[in-house]
Formats: sequence, C-alpha cells, structure tokens
Amino acid sequence: MSAISIQSVSKRFPNGCEALMGINAEIQPGSFTVVLGPSGAGKSTLLRVLNGLEASTDGSVRIGGETLGKGNLRKLRASVAMVFQQFNLVDRLSVVTNVLTGRLAHRSWVGSLFYLFRTEDMEVARQALARVGLTDKAWSRADKLSGGQQQRVGIARALAQRPKVILADEPVASLDPVASEEIMALLREIRDRDGITVVVNLHQVDLARRFADRIIGMNGGRVVFDGTPAELSPQALRTIYQREGMEHDNSLDLALAYA
Amino acid sequence: MTTVSIWRWPTPSGLPPLPLVGGALALLGALWLTAPVVEVDFVRLLGALGRMVAFAGQMFVTPDWHYVPQLLAKMLETIEMTVLGTAIAIVVSLPLGLLAAGNATPHPLVYRITRDLLSLMRALPELVWALVFVSAVGLGPLPGVMALAFVTVGFMGKFFAEAIEVVDHKAVEGVRAHGAGWLQVRLFAMLPQALPDFVGTVMYILDHNLRAATILGLVGAGGIGYDLVMSMRLFQYDRLLLIALAIYLVVTLLDRLSDRLRSRIIHGARA
Repeated sequence: MSAISIQSVSKRFPNGCEALMGINAEIQPGSFTVVLGPSGAGKSTLLRVLNGLEASTDGSVRIGGETLGKGNLRKLRASVAMVFQQFNLVDRLSVVTNVLTGRLAHRSWVGSLFYLFRTEDMEVARQALARVGLTDKAWSRADKLSGGQQQRVGIARALAQRPKVILADEPVASLDPVASEEIMALLREIRDRDGITVVVNLHQVDLARRFADRIIGMNGGRVVFDGTPAELSPQALRTIYQREGMEHDNSLDLALAYA
Repeated sequence: MTTVSIWRWPTPSGLPPLPLVGGALALLGALWLTAPVVEVDFVRLLGALGRMVAFAGQMFVTPDWHYVPQLLAKMLETIEMTVLGTAIAIVVSLPLGLLAAGNATPHPLVYRITRDLLSLMRALPELVWALVFVSAVGLGPLPGVMALAFVTVGFMGKFFAEAIEVVDHKAVEGVRAHGAGWLQVRLFAMLPQALPDFVGTVMYILDHNLRAATILGLVGAGGIGYDLVMSMRLFQYDRLLLIALAIYLVVTLLDRLSDRLRSRIIHGARA
C-alpha cells in the first residue's frame, strides 16, 4: 500500500488560477521523493493539498489508505508532518515549546488550556532536538536563532510528531549552501533511520539528484516527469523548466547547463 | 513655452491622489462649519486668559499636609479599584477577544454578535455605568469596580481581537499543519504572537482606568474622586494640589513600569 496516493487531484483557486490539473502519483512508504519545477508550477499547492491546508477541488488524496476529508483532517495530520520554507515557527515561544507543538496532535485541549505537556512529551521533544543538534538552544526564543537553526527546529517539530510522512516545502530556499546541505542530509538520515516517507519540493537540481530516489517534475500544474535521478536527462530538465510560448529558449539551456 | 515642473507625486498622472485631496478638503470644510456649534471662539478664549492665570495662581498654595494620610488611603483605594477592575476585565476579554477576531472566531455570526456586544459595553462612559451599578448594589468601591470592568471589557475585547487579527499567519499554519486542534492553534500560535500587543493594551488601559477611577467618586462609587470634586467646590486648593500631584505621580510610575514590561516581552528577558 502506498504511503500517499494522489488520484487525479485538481485545484482551482477562487480567483480562477488552475494550480493543479489532474495529478496522479503513488508515493511508496520509506521513499525519498523530490518534486522539481519552476515557480508557480503547483509544487507548494500539491504539498498543501497533501496536508489538507488546501482542499482539492477534484480528485482524492489517500494517506496510508485513508481518504483525506474534513472529518479525519486532524487525525491524518497527526501522521503527516510539514516543514516550511519560512520555517513557520512561533517566534515568541522557546525552541522547545515550538518542538512540543508537534505533540499537540496527540493530546487533548484540556491540558493545552494551561500550556501543560506530559513528561513523556518533553522527553520526545528532547530527543528530537538532540537529533537535529540543538540541545543547547532548547530554551532560547525561536527568533534568536539563525535561519539554518530555525529550520532544524522545524524539522525537530516534525520529528516530535512521530509522523509516517514528512512533507517539506522548499525547506532550503532561504538558506545558504552549507546549511542547505545539512538540512537535506538531515531529512535523508531521518528517512534512512526512521523509515519516514519524505517528500521535498526543491529548486536545486543538484540537491535533487544527490538526495532523491525518485524525482517528480511539474510544470503548469501537471506532472511532466516521473523517474529516478539517473533518468533526469537534460531533455527532461528542459521539459520541466520550459516556459509557455518560448520554443527555443537560450537562457533555459544556459541556466540548466550549470544545474 | 511649456513649463516643466521638477516636482511630482508618485502617481501615474503626477497629480496628488484625488481621494486624499477630497478627504483633506472635506475635513477642513467640516471644521469650518462645526466650529461655531461647539463654541470654539478664539476672541472669547483670549478674553478669558486673565481668569485662567488667576485660577492657576490659586494652585500655588502651601499644601495641606494634614490631609496626606487620608489622601494616601483614598489613593490606595483608587489604585485597588483600577487593578481589580482591569484584572477582571482581562479574564473576561481574552475569550471574547478570540470570538471577536476574524481569523479566530468559530463562526462569522459569533464574530458579529461579540463585536456588537463589545460596542454596547463601551457605548457609555464609566461614570454612567457607575450610576447604574450604584443604584443596583449601593454606594462604595464595588459599583466602581463593576463599572470599570464593564467598560474595560468593551475596549479590551476589541483591542485583543484586533491584535489577534494581525498575527503572522505562517506560524499559525505551522502549528495547524502539525495536527493541533481548534483551541490549541489559538493558544499556541495566536496568543503568544499577540502577547506584546496585549501587554501594551493592558498598560494603556490601566493608565486610562486609573484616571477613570479618580472620577467615579463623583457618583459615590469610591476612590479619590469624591475628595477631588469636593476640594474643587470648596476652593480647598491646598488639597486639590496634593490630589492632582498624587494622580500625576501614579500615572507616571505606571508609564515607566509599562515601558519596562513591554520591552521585556518584545525582546525577551535579558540573559
């Protein structure tokens, strides 16, 4: 059974923008998938639909065999963690509290009313922070950390949730090359050690080649490539990144030559 | 010869935006039309200058030091009324603020009803509500506290709601995406982000309530107000001076305190 099953998913925004047009994909448990595509191809929308942050206008998403709907949204989110480009941490809370918010899905609102967590949740958060190497920053405020560190807090939050799937929406787009490398290695290590299914949106073709075991290419709301990194030929890259109305685009060749 | 102007506004035509010009003109017109209605009369104001100086001169008297113990007791009562009224209002306004914030309310109808309720609560000033509560529960500080809390909920609920409406949506999404429930999203993503605004509001309202509480004595609702009004009526400027000074001191101290507290919360505790 697939970890995620995407069946002819379409998304049309109220302003008429067609972000996704009939996406089909099966994502295997414990796989590392990278979604490539130009800005506006629908990569982010796809991940947001998988997490239920956006509802698809057509088609269905199944997580671990269960169809995502309004009723089971919170239950399914408990097994699907998300890592964001802008980290989306609560700046004013301490690092460890941010990580603990990953535990909220498994806890009722009664304790939360007084900002109380169980000691076992604290232990989970501690382990998650140790995994990302931020134990010494546990009590700092989230906004006092550097971008790379904040993203590691984001990953710790995802880990604390004990998810089956981690969705990462351009997790390295606002980081320097070294921090990007660290974050990608961390995601890869999580996949290898915990067997968590990872789906990452990326702009960096080289990172995709090195870390993914499957690459999905998107353009204009459609899947235009689906294969292993080895199959990602220059021709495939051209298909992924080509723009509408530009048959022969020199800048495209130039840009992709260095990718 | 065509004149080439070197100045222009950053609009497509180079002319100032029409709504801005229209708005400014309308405002000026309104001022000009309404000044006689509210008796803004500069000639009369100049004529009264002598009397104002004379009144101010009367304030420079030797303070009535025997009055100090009573002043302190009354001032303490005023501060207690302020703190109590504000504290009660905070407890009530927090949930109401959530219901009245567009991004946190459970339903648009709840939002509408809560907003209207809050408007009703602050529609009348403290003094009027104090009159109502004095008739209901009798003389003393209790109706004063009730009146303060009542109007404060009206203001604070609205301020809280607006602070919640402008919180960063990304962090809210971050918490929501991890499966947090309705209340958990509000408690862990919205409230912490709105906290500095909350503290600012509470501090402003404490300041406002202290001044409101000084006047509630006028209708027998406790505090320094009764003494203030009586010393004015009986021309006891030696007391009036002390009362004014005491109020000023407390307001200033409160202001200092609020500065400290706010910067601590915005920038975090100094390590």
